[in-house]
This record gives sequence, structure tokens and C-alpha cells, in this order.
Amino acid sequence: MQLIIDKAGKRYHGRHGAVWALRNFSLELRPGVLGLLGPNGAGKTTLMNIIATITRATEGTVTWNGSDLQREPDAVRAVLGYLPQDFGVYPNLNAVEFLEYFAAVKGLDGASTRRRIDELLQLVNLADVRKRPLGGYSGGMRQRVGIAQALLNDPQLLIVDEPTAGLDPEERVRFRNLLSDLSGDRVVILSTHIVSDVEATATDIALISGGTLVTHAAPEELLRAAEGKVWEWVIPSAELSAAKQSYLIGSTVRRADGVHVRLLAESAPAGAVPVAATLEDAYLHCLSTHRAHLAEAKAR
Amino acid sequence: MTTARVLYHLARADFLERVRRYSFLLTLAFAAGLALLTSSGTISLQLDEYRGVYNSAWVGSMMTLVGTTYITLAGFYMVKNTIQRDGQTRVGLVLATTPMSKSLYTLGKALSNFAVLGAMVSVLAVAAVILELVRAEAGGLEPGKLLAPFVWVALPAMAMTAAVAVLFETLPVLRGGAGNVIYFFAWTAYVAVSGITGVNDYVGFGLFMRQMGGALKRIDPTYPGGFAFGHPNAEAAKTFLWNGVDWTPQVLLGRLQWIAIAVAIAWLSALFFHRFDPAREGWRRKKEAPEPGERADAHDAAAQRVADPHLTPLARAAHGSQFPRLVVSELRLMMKGRRWWWYLVAAGLFVASLVVPDVHAHQAFAGFAWLWPVLIWSQMGAREARHDTQKLLFSCAHALDRQLPAVWAAGVIVALCTGAGLGIRLLIGSDLPSLFAWLAGALFVPTFALALGVWSGSSKLFEALYTLWWYVGPMNHTPGLDFTGMAHSSVSTPFYLLATLVLLTAAYFGRRTKLGYA
Repeated sequence: MQLIIDKAGKRYHGRHGAVWALRNFSLELRPGVLGLLGPNGAGKTTLMNIIATITRATEGTVTWNGSDLQREPDAVRAVLGYLPQDFGVYPNLNAVEFLEYFAAVKGLDGASTRRRIDELLQLVNLADVRKRPLGGYSGGMRQRVGIAQALLNDPQLLIVDEPTAGLDPEERVRFRNLLSDLSGDRVVILSTHIVSDVEATATDIALISGGTLVTHAAPEELLRAAEGKVWEWVIPSAELSAAKQSYLIGSTVRRADGVHVRLLAESAPAGAVPVAATLEDAYLHCLSTHRAHLAEAKAR
Repeated sequence: MTTARVLYHLARADFLERVRRYSFLLTLAFAAGLALLTSSGTISLQLDEYRGVYNSAWVGSMMTLVGTTYITLAGFYMVKNTIQRDGQTRVGLVLATTPMSKSLYTLGKALSNFAVLGAMVSVLAVAAVILELVRAEAGGLEPGKLLAPFVWVALPAMAMTAAVAVLFETLPVLRGGAGNVIYFFAWTAYVAVSGITGVNDYVGFGLFMRQMGGALKRIDPTYPGGFAFGHPNAEAAKTFLWNGVDWTPQVLLGRLQWIAIAVAIAWLSALFFHRFDPAREGWRRKKEAPEPGERADAHDAAAQRVADPHLTPLARAAHGSQFPRLVVSELRLMMKGRRWWWYLVAAGLFVASLVVPDVHAHQAFAGFAWLWPVLIWSQMGAREARHDTQKLLFSCAHALDRQLPAVWAAGVIVALCTGAGLGIRLLIGSDLPSLFAWLAGALFVPTFALALGVWSGSSKLFEALYTLWWYVGPMNHTPGLDFTGMAHSSVSTPFYLLATLVLLTAAYFGRRTKLGYA
């Protein structure tokens, strides 16, 4: 089981000329959960759309177990589970009918389908409302129907784009656990802005910015890179604005003794104490280093 | 911000959003097509054996009638989506939270509709100038006489169409496909009545009939009063000089009254406008939507019960073609949401077209049997776009070579079942040529729906075109256009089979383009 993205690029033609949403992107994936992180407009959804065969890459290749997706898209579609960021449902169908429909579209046989749908509805906590038309579902419930749909064909490649959007904290934890359970024998690509979701499930992280791959590493490697560069600094409220100008601030918490600022810097400001880096710190550090390199290269 | 400024920006933003879509080019192309048909004489205006000399007054009036006749019908379908689009783009939810009043919103939407329809009228006005210059039958160009009918007749007609489209969008019963069909019949009846009575109608038939007829009567007292507009049966043998509508204050007030009525309709539409409240979006959804408390209770109960769910791995053998199952699934999806009375009427039409002895009555029933499922067929090929399930569907294996044929097969099954009364009757009567023509029709209609659905991404185009075709063909038994097999002609079967093949190919390539992958 292997997904290889080799120098993939995607160009869109807009009103103001061509725009590359993804450029020279290469990545090799094996079973496990890949956390896809990056700022808005980084190219994450474009990358997932290419892998999910929704759109063609303008350049480069994507292969699944040796099959080129440009030429044989059905090679991956047959084993693909895809949860897009935005999707709709047929409002007159109930959850069972909706899943039965997609099971038929995915070519699953009747006997396997019924049992699978029962299990999936239990899994996503919709068993009790299985007969209610989807038009009456809340956003979170629809999202869970989408998750069930993605898992319907027991996919070897699972792509989920912002899967926990709209889920309550309890459901989010359940979904994270599910992803971890599933990751053993399949390739899972998880795109999200919620770093804690990635922290809990990802075995690998790919950080994208401006359509290019910034880094592809294990979470531990990213954390090591940020180690010794994260500080906690207690300052009066009045100095917060100046601190924001001088340092990369991760978070701020107001307490009785002042504002507790979590910041990233090569050396500590006077009075700051070192703290253990989290994945969010590592993400910010990696991105700021990348931007600094780009600015440097541009200046040269 | 003043009310006028809010209104202006509401209409402006909506208009800009529309004109920057490719579909707007189709809208203008439609107007250009009408102009071309008029220039070539395919559409013309005749008063018995007369037509007017092509001067500014005649050309302007004729082109105005083209606009008011065809754009008030087709244009309605083109603009009846402005509130729906705000719902789909979720811009409506943001607008709903602003201090903007409902009446201002519906007026703004009507104004935007009016601007789009006005753009189509402008195309016809430009074409009228070109037509007169090319034909050059009398004198020089008189801009006042040429443009006056556009200003005083076409624009009020567009205002009415724009406002009625907003009204239809705000009324739950008329918002969907049923409203599209109802508008067609209401419009047909209205134009027919105004054409017979010559009343001051918003389309302008009555005005032109009275004024042109009066002028001709003064030249030829034997003129019997005929007024034919559309495709002429024969070329007009004589011409007469007409100097245009006498724009008296009464005539102008009569036209201005339609603008006032249009404003009133747009303003009254606010009474029915749901302001994007999900609980008011439609009677059926309201019924289906659970109470918030009920939803939360169901969720909590389920959450407590489910401890550690388990997923059984799916055997690879479970994957396969399963085409018949897919056809059944598509059929079920098509029929989902139909109420018991839908099936009752379909069954009634089946029985009536099978057993009613009177030929005219049985033909009418058989015709209606293939109008009844129009809202089912119109979803074909457009459902994925409408419900935003494309990404889910198009990432499945064989979406092109299995799902699309399954949709088509389900549509054909609907056609065969609903029209079976006539089919069985033809079979019993051993009328094989008509039976084959009926079968060709059963293949053609859903294919027509699928192709239009795939290419337009909307159900409206099929609903409008099919209803019009059905009215001209099966209802009026126009040879060649009757696809039911009742007005069988030797060319109809091969024509509809060929059309089916062409449309099926068009649907295939349309979907293939949308898939992005072959």
C-alpha cells in the first residue's frame, strides 16, 4: 500500500491570470495517518482533490500502488474513502437510504452493505436517528453521515478534510480514536486546522504553505526542532502590544499577576522561562522559519 | 445608508454576480437567437395577409413583441433563482442578520431580475436597429419611433416578469418545479386570453393589436381583424405603412400601471419571504425537521448507549459491478419524497390512457401521463449539483460508466411505467409503428432530461423546454414534435432514436468534463 506524489502541481486560470495552487509537490505515503497542516489557501484541499481524483494535476504524477491516477483513476476510486470539507446530502433520504445509495454507487453487494451500514451508524452515533430524513439533521449529524459514507467501502486510502468541523467535543474524541484504530492497515490523510486533532492521531505531518511542501516529518522531529525555543513570559497588559511587535506569540492568558505570554524565540527575553514545545508551537516555528527563508531568498 | 442606496447595492451585487457567470452569456445568446430568427423571417408579425413596411415603428414594435412574448416566458425561468442562490451561497444567512427589511430585499431582487431581463431587451433593441438598416424599406432610422415600444412596452413587461419571478420564489408552493410548470400554463392562458380580447395586457399584445389593426382598417376596410405572431404559415402578400403607436397619455398611463403593479407584487412578496429561516423554508422540511430538544435528546441517548463500536472488515469480494442494484437505488432516489397522491394520479392516468374509449380523451390522458413525471426527470443529471454531492459521487469508481447509465436507465423505467397505458393499448391494437414511436419517445424524454441536467446543472432548463415541447407536440399533435407516438409520422421514430443517441453522447461528455477525469 503506497501513495506516491511526484512533483505534482495544479494551475488554475483566474481573472487575473494563472495561479499555481500547488507546485512541485512530492510526498511518499505508507499506512498510517498523515496530518496535513498549513495556513488557509496553502493548497491542502487542492492536494486532496487531486489524490481523490476530483481534479487532475496540471503537472507531475500521483500513483497508488503503481497505478497512475491520471490514466487509471478507478484504481484508487475503488479503495478510496473521501470526506470533502463541504458536501451535501439528499434531504429526502434517511441515513440508511443515503448510505445504501452510496454503497450501490461504490459497487458493494447487498449482504455486506446492510451489516456495514448498521455498524457504521453505531460507530458515528446515528443509530437512533437512522430513519429520520437527512433534511432534518443538524450540521454535526450530517458530518457524521459523511464520515460513515467515507468508511462505507472499508477504504485502503482514507482522505478526510476538516472531518471534525461541527462535531461536539465528545464526537471529536471518538473520531480521533477511530482514525487511530483505522490507521494500522491503511493510508489516512487528515487535513485540519485543529492541531490537537493531528497531535492525537498523526504518525506523520506534512506542512504546506504557498502550494509547496515545507516539511514532511514525524511529530517528534517537528517538536525537537522547536525545543528550547518556546518561552513563557509574564508581562503587564500594557506591554503586550510591544511584545507582539517583537516576538512570535503563540498564545496569551490573562491572570492576576499579568499576561502569561507563550512565545517563540531563539533566545529568551529577560524574565522568560523555557517551556516544553507543543505541536502548535512546532507548527508556528516551522512556518515562521520557512517564511523567513523565503524573505531572505527574495531579498537576495 | 439611505433606503435607495441599500436597494441599489442589493440589486447591483446580485446583478454583477449573475453577469459574471457563464450562464449569462447563454441568456444573451438566447436574446440574440430571437433577434436572428426575427431577422430571417422565422418569427414574424402579420395582420391577415398584410405586414408592415420595415420602418422604425414597425421593426421596433415587432422586435418588442418578440421580446415581450418570448422573454416574459423563457426569461422568467432564467431569473427565477435569485433568492435560491442567496440560500445556496449562504449569503442569505448574513443578509438575514442585517437591519435590511424583507420588502427592501424582495424589491432589490426584483430590480436585479429586471436588470438581467433589460439586458436581453437591449440585445433586441440593437438587433432592431441593425434589422432596419439592413432591410431599409422606408426612409431613414427614427430612433424615437424605434425605441419607444421597447421603453413603454418591453420594459414594463420585464418589470412584471421580474416581480412575478420573485413572488414565485417566495411562495413555498411555487418555489420548486411545480411553480415552473404552473407559470407556463398560467402564462399561456393569459397570453391566449389577451390575444383574443385585446385587453391592455402587460405583454403588449392588446395594445399592438388595437393600434395596428386600427391603422390597417383605415387603409383597407375589408381587413377582417387577423393578428398572427410567430412562425408564419405563408409570406405576407401585401404591405402597409404604419407610423407607430399613438402614445397618448392614456396609453402611457396604461403601460406605467404595469410598473406600479410590478413594484406592488415585489413589495407584497416580502409577506411570504422566509428571510432564510430554516424553519420557514418549506412546509415539508418544517414537518421533517426535529425540534432542537428532540435532536439533543436522541443524540445524548445514543451517546450513552454506544460504548465501543466495532467495524467488521469488508471482504474484497463484496466489491463488484452491482449495476442492477445501482439502477434500483437511482430509481428509489428519484421517487423518494413523492406522496401517495402522486402515485394515485399516475395510476389514474395509466388506467385512463389504457381504457378510455374516446380517442381525444384517451390522447389527452396519455399526453398528461408523460407530463406528470416532469419533476422527476428534471432532477436527472442535475441532482448532484443541486444537493452538492458531486465530490462524494465523482470520487467513486465508475461514476461515468456506471452511475450515469444507471440514472438514465431509471429515467427510462419511469417513462415506460408512467406511459405504459398508451404502450399497452398500442400493443393490443397491434399498431406497431406507433408502438415503436412510443418506445422511441420513452427513450428520448429521459435522455433529453439527463443531457440538459448534466450540462446546465439545473432542473429548470428541462422543465421549461420540455413543458413547451409537450404543449406544442403531444397536446397539439404537431407532426414530428409529438414524441408520444400518438401523432405517428414515418420520420418521428428514427428522429427520436437519433436524438436519443446524440443527447446520450452529450450527457456522457458533459459528465466527463465535470468529472475532470475520463
